[in-house]
Amino acid sequence: MDKALIAKLAQAAGLDKALANFPDDVAVAAEQALGHRETIAWPTDPAVEPWPPMRAGSGP
Amino acid sequence: MSDWPMSELHWLSAAEAARAFAARRLSPVELLTALLARIERLDPTLHAFTRLDADAAMDAARAAESEIASGRLRGPLHGVPVGVKDIIDVAGLPTTCHSKILLDNVARADAVVIAKLRQAGAIVLGKLSTHEFAIGGPSFDLPFPPARNPWNPDHHPGGSSSGSGSGVCAGLFPLALGSDTGGSVRNPASACGIVGLKPTYGLVSRRGVFPLSYTLDHVGPLTRTVADNALLLDAIAGHDPADPGSAATSARYFGSMLDRGVRDLRVGFVRHFHELDKPAHPEVTAAVEDAARVLQAEGAEVRTVSLPSLNEFAAVNRVILCSEAWSIHAPWLRSRPGDYGKLSRQRLMPGAFINAGDYVGAQRRRLQMIAAVEDLFNDCDVLLCASSMDPASRIEDAQETARTYPRQARTPFNVTGHPALAMMAGLASNGLPVSVQFVGRYFNDATVLRVAAAYERGTEWHKRRPPIG
Repeated sequence: MDKALIAKLAQAAGLDKALANFPDDVAVAAEQALGHRETIAWPTDPAVEPWPPMRAGSGP
Repeated sequence: MSDWPMSELHWLSAAEAARAFAARRLSPVELLTALLARIERLDPTLHAFTRLDADAAMDAARAAESEIASGRLRGPLHGVPVGVKDIIDVAGLPTTCHSKILLDNVARADAVVIAKLRQAGAIVLGKLSTHEFAIGGPSFDLPFPPARNPWNPDHHPGGSSSGSGSGVCAGLFPLALGSDTGGSVRNPASACGIVGLKPTYGLVSRRGVFPLSYTLDHVGPLTRTVADNALLLDAIAGHDPADPGSAATSARYFGSMLDRGVRDLRVGFVRHFHELDKPAHPEVTAAVEDAARVLQAEGAEVRTVSLPSLNEFAAVNRVILCSEAWSIHAPWLRSRPGDYGKLSRQRLMPGAFINAGDYVGAQRRRLQMIAAVEDLFNDCDVLLCASSMDPASRIEDAQETARTYPRQARTPFNVTGHPALAMMAGLASNGLPVSVQFVGRYFNDATVLRVAAAYERGTEWHKRRPPIG
């Protein structure tokens, strides 16, 4: 990922201190975050919901 | 007076110790005295403990001795010492998570699992080393040194429940609690050649356990024998209405089927995990294939089955874990990044860069992965697969540790929540353990333990001891 973009995203996440003191760790984290994208077969069926669904209790 | 030589007391299983206490052939004080002497001798090398609570443990042992002598047995673990991973609250002791961030974090109350252990009569021996916040390790830049492997202290003992694995393996205590979000009970069980169970999601309360990922966190037992694992699970399982992930289930008596064998059980063998997805060290491959033969010889029917790839399971696990961990750690990562170890910073900050769509997408893909595993259980009673693809690397070889740590088949069952157990399946030519993994249907942890017990009887790897003295 582009260094300037990493810096902007890190600042947006409030990681200014980490960016100033541990820029290499921030870069490693950013690369790891994007590294998963290509590996997952993202569901295309809109009906596939996260699991478990919200539990609203047992009702009255 | 003890029936056992003092020099061998540390190898007693919890079940053996409890039986000996009840029969007055051994006292909890005698056992604890032997264990404390062993800890004093070996822990300066192994670093299993972050905090040994010897005085409180001895007080509890004396009380147990007195109660047992007067015929008041509190439970099946009365007088048996247990070690506790230092992310689990024990009232009055710091829960440091092996981190500078929480060095002064003294727990005001016991976690639910600790309260249950005390009800069963167990004695809390102390807090055990972990990777920082159950993710950042093995590391040398933390307030406590990393635990080491009793089979060879130059090697890591697995993690993140590293002190739990090291201490059980070395005979410092017969029972330990760990936690498992991406394999952290089963990894030390594999590296140290003991038994580690990640129970069904929701079977064991997580209240009072410092969270890493709400979706993926499990608390589980580490022991030297399968019977002890069932005994410890019996003590800690049960519904907790205050844990949002806790299941209202009647599942219990997890050791009730240990003697039944595996005749006519259908075993699905997930070979592609170690053959294709992450090709295993040849000695691991041989051990896993041999496990299939052992189960077949005991009467099980073994068939090859397939699941999504390990890489995809790992990716879903990491997107969910990093997102949820970021929501927990963001305030400290923003204000105190220097108080984390380097590995923790690198492993906790990715959540800052994962977008909401990826997180929800990973949760949706998880549903499909659950369906894939559930489909297998239409035709199988249990799954067999590898756990770690390599024996433990040298702890100071950061590059080799980074290469081998992700080469594992444990994360699939954090993603799906099915019960999964790792145990010793041999010794590699370098003298380090290799392992195998059994997986069961939801809340059928008893069947997983049944298969593990049959395998244990068929191989006797559990009788091997590390050459640490």
